Amino acid sequence: MTLGRLALRNMLRSKRRTLLSTAAIVVGVMYLILGQAFVGGIEEGIVQAAEDGMTGHITVRVDDYPTTGLSHPVDDLLTLTPAAKALLDDDARVAAWVERTVFVATLSTGDDSLRIRAIGAGARDAEVFQRTTWTVEGRVPETAEQGALLGAGIGRMLGIGVGDRVILRTRTHAGAINALDVAVAGLVQTGNMALDGTTAWLPDALARDLVRAERPTHVGVRLKRRGQAPAFAEALRAAVGDGADVITVQEETAELLRMQQIRRNALNILVGVLLAMSALAIANTILMAAHERVREVGTLRAMGMTRRRIVALFVTEGAIMGGLAGLVGLGVGGLGAWYFSENPIDLGALMQGVDYGNIQFSAYLYTAFDPGAMVLPFVIAASTAVLASIYPALLASRLEIADAVRAE
Amino acid sequence: MAICELKGATKTYGSGATEVHAILGIDLTIDAGEFTAFVGPSGSGKTTLLNQIGCLDSPSAGSVHIRGKATAGLSDVKLAGLRAEEIGFIFQSFNLIPVLTAAENVELAMSLAGQDGGHDAALALLAEVGLEGLGGRRPNQLSGGQQQRVAIARALVKKPSIVIADEPTANLDSDSGRAVLDLMRALNEKHGTTFLFSTHDPMVVDYARRVVTLRDGAIVSDERRGAAS
Repeated sequence: MTLGRLALRNMLRSKRRTLLSTAAIVVGVMYLILGQAFVGGIEEGIVQAAEDGMTGHITVRVDDYPTTGLSHPVDDLLTLTPAAKALLDDDARVAAWVERTVFVATLSTGDDSLRIRAIGAGARDAEVFQRTTWTVEGRVPETAEQGALLGAGIGRMLGIGVGDRVILRTRTHAGAINALDVAVAGLVQTGNMALDGTTAWLPDALARDLVRAERPTHVGVRLKRRGQAPAFAEALRAAVGDGADVITVQEETAELLRMQQIRRNALNILVGVLLAMSALAIANTILMAAHERVREVGTLRAMGMTRRRIVALFVTEGAIMGGLAGLVGLGVGGLGAWYFSENPIDLGALMQGVDYGNIQFSAYLYTAFDPGAMVLPFVIAASTAVLASIYPALLASRLEIADAVRAE
Repeated sequence: MAICELKGATKTYGSGATEVHAILGIDLTIDAGEFTAFVGPSGSGKTTLLNQIGCLDSPSAGSVHIRGKATAGLSDVKLAGLRAEEIGFIFQSFNLIPVLTAAENVELAMSLAGQDGGHDAALALLAEVGLEGLGGRRPNQLSGGQQQRVAIARALVKKPSIVIADEPTANLDSDSGRAVLDLMRALNEKHGTTFLFSTHDPMVVDYARRVVTLRDGAIVSDERRGAAS
């Protein structure tokens, strides 16, 4: 007759009470796993949106470039040094790089107009700013004659369809006003809410024609791995010299990720409260069990069970409760985390009309499913249950045997 | 041979004006194989005395020796070991573990005494106390007499030197009580196990070969009988 078997039988004698006590742990573990997975997913979504939207793994832009609001001046253009070009062309870490001309334009249909961001994209743009989440109605224009690709949000707002014509008006590099009548080649849903409602993509030649610029405003770089960005950025900074900023995707998203840390901390506090509640529930359950089983405890002690084994018996009951509840929470939370990693929540429809400015944010809320990250919540749950059962176990072990065996 | 010896055993509760002596200066020797009843009115000290012998409690003064070993000053682990190996208990309310079957109750006692044998040994012992085929039943599926037989099997499974039975027939009808007493005496004669009873039941007194009468915490008579009734 093992202690574990006896503990299991004891635990099952008040099934309803055990279930209620363990429910808090189940919810706590589930909430922790799902919450962490969503926070992780949001973090990855932020980085991914920046990576595939405006930053790539690394972006090079003119010094003191504005980083807030819809502001993309073309007064200063980017000049890449020969050393920087050589590094971008020859370094084995570089998968692709591309020049971009980014500017602000007013898009007009005749009746309505909207201030937008226009991106003049070079031929290799899709290699640097990957388009795996893009859904395009119409086509992505490759020549100036084919016109522009508009974010689907712009199309919705102004009632523009594929094949319509719009006027793009902007200030040139020299400060003059220029406008062109362009065809709408396509409408794109990028999966990045900040881009869909504000951005148009133009063939680079069309963009440069509009702003009359000989040189780009940005260079985007894709490396073989995101993690290589900080080290490569150091080398690139040395090569580009003064007058240009080299920004990594990690730097670009650092502020948002810091905000995410606040969210993560808030989640941890909530989970802490839940676990504290579940610890109290388990302590109460074990305490009630100890009170109800005074005579049994006395009998076990009379039969030769030591105080330490009585403590072990009650702690084992707590551990079984915590372990089983942890497993259920892990199962449900893990299943949810896995499901939402495969089936994201589409925030696009929920958050239409929200102004994101320059904040790159994925329209799809995924979870970051990491089986390894589920071990800790399970360990925390089981440990909480064990710790919560120690005090009642100690009380039970200190009963006077002579009185306990005759307790009613 | 003395299996248990008390010298000046005293148990005092409270202090000063509220001081009460549950037993006071008791000298007593129990020999191996005795079948002894402790009688006396409620509050006379029967249970306190048996608690001292059973190592469930320690004396405030005096000494208790089990098989020549003083129990005073023993650690919890050593006292538990002594109870597990040398002393079996039978209680008025049977005190079986309700979540375990009859056989598992017996197995648990074996396991605490560090004995091998497992389920088969438990079933064999249950058969010896007349519970053949009932090993799989939980206590609530057994009659009072059957439960007390399980308790007897549980007390005897470790082949203890002493079995302490606290009012063993109090919750049984007279037929079941007699059957239980017959069983205990048969086991006493077969294995030489010492049985000590605390009782108010005249039937238990009739079965005893020695009757120790207590009053106000002291032994007032100690009658030995030549033959069993």
